[in-house]
Amino acid sequence: MWYFAWILGVTLAVLMASLAATLCDAKECALDAARRADGSH
Amino acid sequence: MFDYETLKLIWWLLVGALLIGFAIMDGHDMGVGALLPFVGKNDDERRVVINTVAPHWDGNQVWFITAGGAIFAAWPLVYATAFSGFYWAMMAVLWALFFRPVGFDYRSKVQNATWRNTWDWGLFIGGAIPPIIFGVAFGNLFLGVPFQFDDTLRSTYTGTFWALLNPFALLAGVLSLSMIVFQGANYLMIRTEGDIYKRVRTASFWSGALTFALFALAGFWLMKDIGGYAITSYIDGNALPDPLDKTVVKEVGAWMKNYSLYAWAKWVPITTFIAIVLGMLLSRLHKPGMAFIASSITCAGIIGTAGVSLFPFVMPSSSDPRSSLTIWDSASSQMTLGLMLGATVIFLPLIIVYTSWAYKVMSGKITTDFIKANDKSVY
Amino acid sequence: MISTELVDISRLQFAVTALYHFLFVPLTLGMTFMLVTMELTYLITSKQIYKDMVKFWGKLFGINFALGVTTGITMEFQFGTNWAYYSHYVGDIFGAPLAIEGLMAFFLESTFIGLFFFGWDKLSKGKHFMVTVFMAIGSNLSALWILIANGWMQNPVGSEFSFTTMRMEMSDFWAIVFNPVAQAKFVHTVSAGYVTASLFVLGISSYYILKGRDLEFAKRSFRMAAGFGFASALSVIVLGDESGYTVGEAQQTKLAAMEAMWHTEAAPAGFTLFAIPNEETQSNDYEISIPYVMGLIGTRSLTKTIPGIIEIKAKNRERIINGEIAVKALEALRKNKNDAAALVLFNGHKEDLGFGLLLKKYTEDVSAATPAMIQLAVDSTVPKVAPMFFGFRIMVVLGFGMLALFSLALLYSIKGTFFHKRWLLRWAVLFIPAPWIAMELGWVVAEYGRQPWSIYGVLPTHLSASSLTPANVYGSLAGFVTFYTVLLIIEMYLMLKYTRMGPSSLGTGRYHNENPAAA
Ligand code: HDD
Ligand code: HEM
Ligand code: HEM
Repeated sequence: MWYFAWILGVTLAVLMASLAATLCDAKECALDAARRADGSH
Repeated sequence: MFDYETLKLIWWLLVGALLIGFAIMDGHDMGVGALLPFVGKNDDERRVVINTVAPHWDGNQVWFITAGGAIFAAWPLVYATAFSGFYWAMMAVLWALFFRPVGFDYRSKVQNATWRNTWDWGLFIGGAIPPIIFGVAFGNLFLGVPFQFDDTLRSTYTGTFWALLNPFALLAGVLSLSMIVFQGANYLMIRTEGDIYKRVRTASFWSGALTFALFALAGFWLMKDIGGYAITSYIDGNALPDPLDKTVVKEVGAWMKNYSLYAWAKWVPITTFIAIVLGMLLSRLHKPGMAFIASSITCAGIIGTAGVSLFPFVMPSSSDPRSSLTIWDSASSQMTLGLMLGATVIFLPLIIVYTSWAYKVMSGKITTDFIKANDKSVY
Repeated sequence: MISTELVDISRLQFAVTALYHFLFVPLTLGMTFMLVTMELTYLITSKQIYKDMVKFWGKLFGINFALGVTTGITMEFQFGTNWAYYSHYVGDIFGAPLAIEGLMAFFLESTFIGLFFFGWDKLSKGKHFMVTVFMAIGSNLSALWILIANGWMQNPVGSEFSFTTMRMEMSDFWAIVFNPVAQAKFVHTVSAGYVTASLFVLGISSYYILKGRDLEFAKRSFRMAAGFGFASALSVIVLGDESGYTVGEAQQTKLAAMEAMWHTEAAPAGFTLFAIPNEETQSNDYEISIPYVMGLIGTRSLTKTIPGIIEIKAKNRERIINGEIAVKALEALRKNKNDAAALVLFNGHKEDLGFGLLLKKYTEDVSAATPAMIQLAVDSTVPKVAPMFFGFRIMVVLGFGMLALFSLALLYSIKGTFFHKRWLLRWAVLFIPAPWIAMELGWVVAEYGRQPWSIYGVLPTHLSASSLTPANVYGSLAGFVTFYTVLLIIEMYLMLKYTRMGPSSLGTGRYHNENPAAA
């Protein structure tokens, strides 16, 4: 049932992508933000 | 559930309903497009006018697309014969419509007077040309269209594009445009204030008056001078559709027959006249919401009058009358009609609910101050 | 009689308008779900930057969407204007999904897209998110219904010919909806759309990172696109394989042409990696082949054979000769519906009616077909091999190329080092056109590969066209090309303009060039 697989697949892909982006907050984006707050650029 | 004959009749009503939905919904934003260059005197005013329909024009346009799809599904022979026969008219409609999505979306994305002015006229074309052509096409249906079928039901159209532009059809074209402008003007009165409001109120009055006059004139012309068509063989509504299985004659006054046959039928045009007058009156009285309802009834009434007069014809043939398409012999199979009825009964109410919600969310007057404050996020 | 010139020019017009439409469709299909992802993240984290992402990528999406709509309107009406006989012959089946598409999908998509753009200040966060979700579902449902329609053209299930109404009529709606070809097509095509949108976001974000601007914005977008793109690129390949399998089941001529399989080979057949197909000698020059692989992909078995072109043609010759009888019987039935002898004859041969109709291209009176005409008809049943063979291979190569790109992008996102890998970023920018090329080629393979049929095995393309004059269609084709090209140029101009401006086009004061100190 490919139609069913589609619904599941899209949901998973959306969640995975969202997770990948929020990981940024834990990694380099947090550093960027800290650097900007420093004003050191 | 329903027998074949009933389904064919229901689909005549449903196609009518979709066309009326199209005239009311897409009609008001086409009317807005047709009025745009005249009621908006500067860039801010024009942006006000455009943003009254900005969130809605695409949803409204789907009435047109769905009416096309529904005719394809319910009356495939009509879809095939009408659109290939009216080839250049159809191309003109498509090309005029091209200006709308891009006109709305691209116009305010560049700060340049020529750019914006060009798109404004594009929106004008997209708003004014399609209603004229639809009117002209309807006018030609009353006169009959030169096409015929061969043994394999392949249709051949023998007319030219220019033959479509005869006086009666042109009258119908102008009638259709003025009806749409009436509708658009009343809508704009709801959503604007100040100078723009004053201008569209005037437009509402005059387009209402013109609609009244042309509608009366067209009716008169139809009664006195236009040869209608009548089926002379026995009709079996439950038969499998075959347009070549009947005989048809041309006779003056045939388009008036339904009004003497069915007592209720004359109420369709009468209601239309009343609605036009009420619409004009209500816009004079600064009651734009009610005026919009009246002009919506006008749209329904004018299309309804055309449908009732033609019934049961959809597309009479002038060159080979027995090839004429009627609701009995151009329909899909019983299964498809039933299935599509089910789909419509489920989805149409949902569409009406969420469309109303969208209008409610976006309701309120649009002002030049609002445009200035949201320069980057509105059209 | 319909002239070949008319049919060819009508096909060209359909191909041009459809390929233009499909320049815009895939980005819409994928972008709506990317926007859902961004807004979901905004909903969860409440960080303003995710809202800015929805708005900025939404702007680019809107520019694309406008042309998707413009070119789509043409498609809806072109079946009637240019393929009138087709519309009559199969409207009973084909019209239904198109109408349902309008009722179920276009209304949803188009109503909510208005609220998506203009409803930010009027709706709560949660409600706006739901609006975005409905918009995405609407656009993808439109793909569903149109591909059910298209899947039926490739594999016409759930329908029967009726000689009284002289058309195909629906017999089983659910068979049409759950047509395996339609299912494979739908998932393959929407996945292709997701790949497109992911690469679009990935490429543009890479460009910002390479330029060293709007880094926080670009890095988040990059990661999101890498995640979404990896999943999509994987599924486009898996489902492409599924498409190939359904083609093998439903359309042997197409598969044989795609694979340049001139002869039936002993099972399992080898996969031709590269070759120059030669129509004259009906064989391949310079062939490089991997044993067994094709048999495995095409039949998923070790013992089933895949028929080659020469063998298929021999079978089609029989069907054409059979079909000749069906056409003659049908003609008799059209003259007299009660002709019992003709009815018996017709029912005995109606399976091959479509093949008999192929002869109509060469002669009005099918019973007068000469052996030379029959040979021409037989030869026409297999599309030209070279465009199919290469079109398919380029799509596949690009597919694997994109999978590699997304895999690395995701890997280095997890490691958190992607923004130092300039080669990766450059690769992403350079690859932006790749999904578009793959997709247009995919459609050419699918649609050209269906020739000479418009409804596979049922209705020849030649008979499908409207009775217009070629001059009419030349005129309209010129009009479409002019309009679309001008609009495409304007669209590209706006896309580039807004891409260069980046998120500063939102006028929030937080981005590149707006406030030099913070940039
Ligand atoms: C796989 C997807 C797909 C395919 C094969 C097609 N379309 Fe399409 N169409 C869409 C996916 C789509 C979409 C994603 O929903 C669009 C594209 C861009 C957009 O704005 O919406 C759209 C827009 C669109 C519109 C405008 C809708 C509106 O006003 O919102 C129409 C009338 C059509 N299409 C009709 C067609 C027809 C008749 C096709 C067949 C020949 C066709 N499309 C092929
Ligand atoms: C290994 C990779 C791939 C394989 C095996 C594959 C296979 C196929 C096959 C067999 C078809 C023809 C289906 C038919 O005739 O009905 C097809 C069509 C198509 N492909 Fe692919 N494909 C691949 C990659 C891609 C990629 C990367 C894209 C775009 C991003 C793409 C987009 C399309 C499109 C839009 C169509 C036409 C619609 C359809 O028929 O499904 N494909 N593909
Ligand atoms: C938007 C994606 C599509 C693209 C890019 C596309 C591409 C093409 C191409 C290249 C042709 C010309 C083939 C040839 O004559 O050699 C064609 C023909 C055609 N396609 Fe598609 N197609 C698309 C979607 C569809 C869909 C969804 C349908 C039906 C629902 C469809 C129906 C047809 C028809 C009726 C023709 C003309 C008759 C014919 O040549 O068989 N197409 N298309």
